[in-house]
Amino acid sequence: MNDAEPLSDDPRSEPGDVGLVEPRDFISTEPFTFECGQTLPGFTLRYETYGRPNAARDNAILICHALSGDHHCAGIHSLADRKPGWWNNLIGPGKPVDTNKFLVLCSNVLGGCQGSSGPSSTNLATGRPYGTAFPPVTIRDMVRAQQRWLEGIGVPSLHGVIGGSMGGMQALQWAVEFPSKVRKVLAMATTARESAQGIAFNEVGRQAIMQDPDWNKGDYPKQGGPRVGLAIARMMAHITYLSDAGLDRKFGRRRRSIKALATAAPNETTGPVPGGFEFEIESYLRHQGQSFINRFDANSYLYITRAIDQFDLAAEGTLEQTFAAVEAESLVMGFTSDWLFPPEQNREIALALLRAGKRASYAELATDLGHDSFLLESPQLYDLVRGFLK
Amino acid sequence: MQKSAIKRTVDMQIMADWVETGARVLDLGCGRGVLMEFLAQSKKADVIGVDLDVDKITSCIKRGVSAYQGDMMEFMRAFPDDHFDRVICSRTVEELGAPNVVIAEALRVGRALTVGFVNHGYWKNRLDIVWSGRKPKNDVYTTDWHESRPANPATIADFEAFCALKAIRIARRVHLRGDWQTPCAALPNLLAGYALYDLVRGGA
Repeated sequence: MNDAEPLSDDPRSEPGDVGLVEPRDFISTEPFTFECGQTLPGFTLRYETYGRPNAARDNAILICHALSGDHHCAGIHSLADRKPGWWNNLIGPGKPVDTNKFLVLCSNVLGGCQGSSGPSSTNLATGRPYGTAFPPVTIRDMVRAQQRWLEGIGVPSLHGVIGGSMGGMQALQWAVEFPSKVRKVLAMATTARESAQGIAFNEVGRQAIMQDPDWNKGDYPKQGGPRVGLAIARMMAHITYLSDAGLDRKFGRRRRSIKALATAAPNETTGPVPGGFEFEIESYLRHQGQSFINRFDANSYLYITRAIDQFDLAAEGTLEQTFAAVEAESLVMGFTSDWLFPPEQNREIALALLRAGKRASYAELATDLGHDSFLLESPQLYDLVRGFLK
Repeated sequence: MQKSAIKRTVDMQIMADWVETGARVLDLGCGRGVLMEFLAQSKKADVIGVDLDVDKITSCIKRGVSAYQGDMMEFMRAFPDDHFDRVICSRTVEELGAPNVVIAEALRVGRALTVGFVNHGYWKNRLDIVWSGRKPKNDVYTTDWHESRPANPATIADFEAFCALKAIRIARRVHLRGDWQTPCAALPNLLAGYALYDLVRGGA
């Protein structure tokens, strides 16, 4: 999977991986005013790039990540890495987002916790993490920070912006906020306005975090924090990324013996279990929760879910009024089993763009993987992405 | 060139003639986007197609034309009156369950409607039924009954009667002979293989 071969310039070569990649930091020393009105003296965005700029400097593609994602969307950081970046199947030489043709860029969002400025960053005024003193972040703030970063590293415009879920929100926001800088927008499994159901799920996650005594009103040391609450938030959210049929196919009612797992699964985790068995889905979800707390900051989770909840491109009128400014051509993709951002919400984006007189397409893929379907290894999806970007 | 490809070219040219330069056009049942690409190139038309099949949508996108995957009625309901300069149903109405409903909605969202269809009343089709007592099977109807899709074939007489009944004004009509090229002047319901209609709302 990770052959880590050097980047090939030959477009005829077999699809390969981008190989070893290195994250970099963009540090803006200009003040940044958030949508809420608060200002920071500057910010950092951690990012990665794959491929090279062409002579005309018009081949850049921005990848936008989802709630729990990061800037590492392709390649590996070291030969010992077990997993490549989160969209490695889509991005690489000869792949649908072809790094032989495009300069591909991805940053960790503002408010994130993977190297970009966010609640876990050190507040120079206090020498401690900002915690809840970090300004509230919106999708628009994320996009404006990205724009400053791209400007700063010499990428004046984008051939395309691609994202799924919250990444799709950013892609749409890009088209609205910087219409002349984006030629193609590819938004998948997303929405133009977070639904009540979406807000509801996010609120349960936030409550799980904030009800954990270790949250301590957001004031906790770097290695501490509400680990139990964050794990539960992730477990619950993870269910919304999958589907009934997908879970049934993957886990069904398969069980495993608790006795055999006596050391791995202590009683306080599983509680009393009839027959000494637990269902495989239970341990799968616990594993998802546990691995999440080792890589994600609880305050960032609160901030980013708030940003998602606030997202409403129709806040100041109708969606087509907002889209009136758009110059890009769009492709919106929905997935039949996505119940977090169901096909109707994706369709509505394309329809509103069309009502506004814009060039927009809508495609719907039949999958059983739920919301996470946009990460699917699917020749149909690859065909659409490749065809749209060319 | 294949015979079917020649036929396709002819009806595309007539349909393009009826599209104003730069018009906003909706193609219902757009398939792989061949007509839309032609209209975009020859008429600088702003085209959007609707189809149910993801592979067809993918083909459209590869051609560089926009397409929407979904139900054509649901699609049209999302648009205000007169949003499109022209709606096109090219070999689409013969596959509809309720063509009257679709045509009425198309005439609401579109200022004009092009309908092109195979004339089921063409003499060869009649002969197939009368002579062999079987479903027509020829260059146009290529499949046996047992492998055919659900169809709602129309004759020119059916279509003209429908337009009269619904007070839909026929602005232009073109009837073509069995070769789909030569204009058919007389007895079109018997002698025309293909029919094209340019429709506008009646009344006013």
